[in-house]
Amino acid sequence: MNLYEPYLARVTDLVDETPDTRTLRLAFQEPELARTFDFKAGQFGEYTAFGAGECTFCIASSPTRQGYIECSFKTVGKATTALRSLNVGDTMGFRGPYGNHFPLGKMEGSSLVFIAGGIGLAPVRSVIWNALDLRDRFRDVTIVYGARSVSDLVYKRELAEWAARPDVTLRQTVDPGGETPGWTGDVGLVPAIVEKAAPSAADAYAIVCGPPVMIKYTLPVLTKLGFAADRIYTTLENRMKCGIGKCGRCNIGPVYVCKDGPVFTAEEMAKLPQEF
Amino acid sequence: MNGRTITHAQLAALVADLVAAGTAVTAPARAADGRLDYRPVTRLEDAVLGDGLPRLSLKALFLPPTEPLFAFRLSGSDVAIDSVPTSFPPHVVLGAVPCDAAGVQALDKVMGWDYRDELWFGRREATTIVSVGCSSRDETCFCGATGGGPTATRGADLLLVPLEGGFAVEIVTSKGEALVTAHEERFGPAPNEADVARSRAALAGSRVEPVAPLAPVTTWLAEHFEDPLWADVALRCHGCGACASVCPTCHCFDIVDEPEGVTHGTRRRNWDTCQAGRFTLHASGHNPRADQHARFRQRLMHKFSIYPARFGELLCTGCGRCSRACPGGMDLPEVLRTIAERAATAGGAA
Repeated sequence: MNLYEPYLARVTDLVDETPDTRTLRLAFQEPELARTFDFKAGQFGEYTAFGAGECTFCIASSPTRQGYIECSFKTVGKATTALRSLNVGDTMGFRGPYGNHFPLGKMEGSSLVFIAGGIGLAPVRSVIWNALDLRDRFRDVTIVYGARSVSDLVYKRELAEWAARPDVTLRQTVDPGGETPGWTGDVGLVPAIVEKAAPSAADAYAIVCGPPVMIKYTLPVLTKLGFAADRIYTTLENRMKCGIGKCGRCNIGPVYVCKDGPVFTAEEMAKLPQEF
Repeated sequence: MNGRTITHAQLAALVADLVAAGTAVTAPARAADGRLDYRPVTRLEDAVLGDGLPRLSLKALFLPPTEPLFAFRLSGSDVAIDSVPTSFPPHVVLGAVPCDAAGVQALDKVMGWDYRDELWFGRREATTIVSVGCSSRDETCFCGATGGGPTATRGADLLLVPLEGGFAVEIVTSKGEALVTAHEERFGPAPNEADVARSRAALAGSRVEPVAPLAPVTTWLAEHFEDPLWADVALRCHGCGACASVCPTCHCFDIVDEPEGVTHGTRRRNWDTCQAGRFTLHASGHNPRADQHARFRQRLMHKFSIYPARFGELLCTGCGRCSRACPGGMDLPEVLRTIAERAATAGGAA
């Protein structure tokens, strides 16, 4: 088996999350693979737009939703532009799932605090739905999500769904100046809203993903709230080509993000050289 | 010594046998311009055995500078993939320099951990490497420091040690033994041990003194990701990647699509280098290794700290090609010596 040959998948749905961010749903063409494909929340893959190349994204859908996977991406370069040009019914490629995952099994019986900024909600969304689909296995579920502006919030239909659920506490926020006249959420940066929401750290895990600067200022807030560094999880993204520990691109010091990660605890992150 | 002998005439006949049987033979050979490289040969006279380091290492035989991973054809909404073979025809490398053979073996680790790279191992399995004792020391060689040497067998299936009129043949692996068995009539009896010992000693005379003890270097590196040394030693680095190109163990690669028209194309794997600024550049514009010194540090760390920590061996065989190729005059042994001195000072202080 040639490791670099992708599975073929067909685009079965697409959603424009924001003016420049799109979600593609894909279903594998090989029926046996479509039936047996499995992954864990937090894993990633290499998505192909044939002729343009591969992109590394997390799998944004939940492993509990079978028969398809989803990816969400911002259109910034050649391959993402080509992926964006795909329509429902078109063929793309996928290699994966690769990397480690959020240890949701270990978190059963605990409260979950999800914190995300911008497109960083994509990997967190996979865990959120995974947990919500197994809702009785977890205690309190809190989600703090922020973006630069209202139009930059992704998964808006799902945010509405989570907001309506009595078993989920959702705090949405936009950066000052990013609010619209009808905006009913918070205005402020994510770390400040986390501090205001003050989720209990008692028997809880935090899952954080967003821009580096958001993570940097959120970690001290979580520490202040009482979250131990080994109970805070995040997922790192680095440029990758192979995704399987060969191409030498994603190292942060001794760590291969593609194999040792992409999921790390704050405790593990603190030990990494500051090169990410 | 577990071995046989082979005369020059027998070796010439062996090459002829292999070529006649359709086995490709690659050996160091000179081009018209005099440059020595591993090239396909069809007769022994063209091979340069044990007399000079080829310009490029053996790496390209197993990880070509560019190679197709598959081809694709687009038709409406459909895509078809045409696979490339992952098994390869038999191939013999004759006259590998020991540091190059060692480099290939070092790379087996990264190519095989967890995910097995079939393109690499397909070529590895099809290829028998016959090393030859090396007498071509120069001031940039430092194989001795990396555990190698003029008659080191790491990565070799057979090792030829020069004798009067031919070679002693040391059988290193079962694959090497299979080559001998398949061409039994081309090999002579076991060599005279005293002759072999004399020849080895003569080659060992060309053994390069270790530039520096590398164990303390590895220890120092693990503790000095941040250090003023990096900005200092990397000042001469242009980021051209010549070092990675000629290196027997630098294996970083890129994966790109090469469309041919709009209906079909090829996905290729191409050599890349961590010395290039765009190597780690994110689509967002963020670059975790924004400075050249961070890139130089990565290369050194990967060879002498990251790889040993992960796979238990150095990612350097001391061939010295990087020093010879660098347009900025950077010298790896010099950097290693500097680090060893710092490690010694730090050790003394502690």
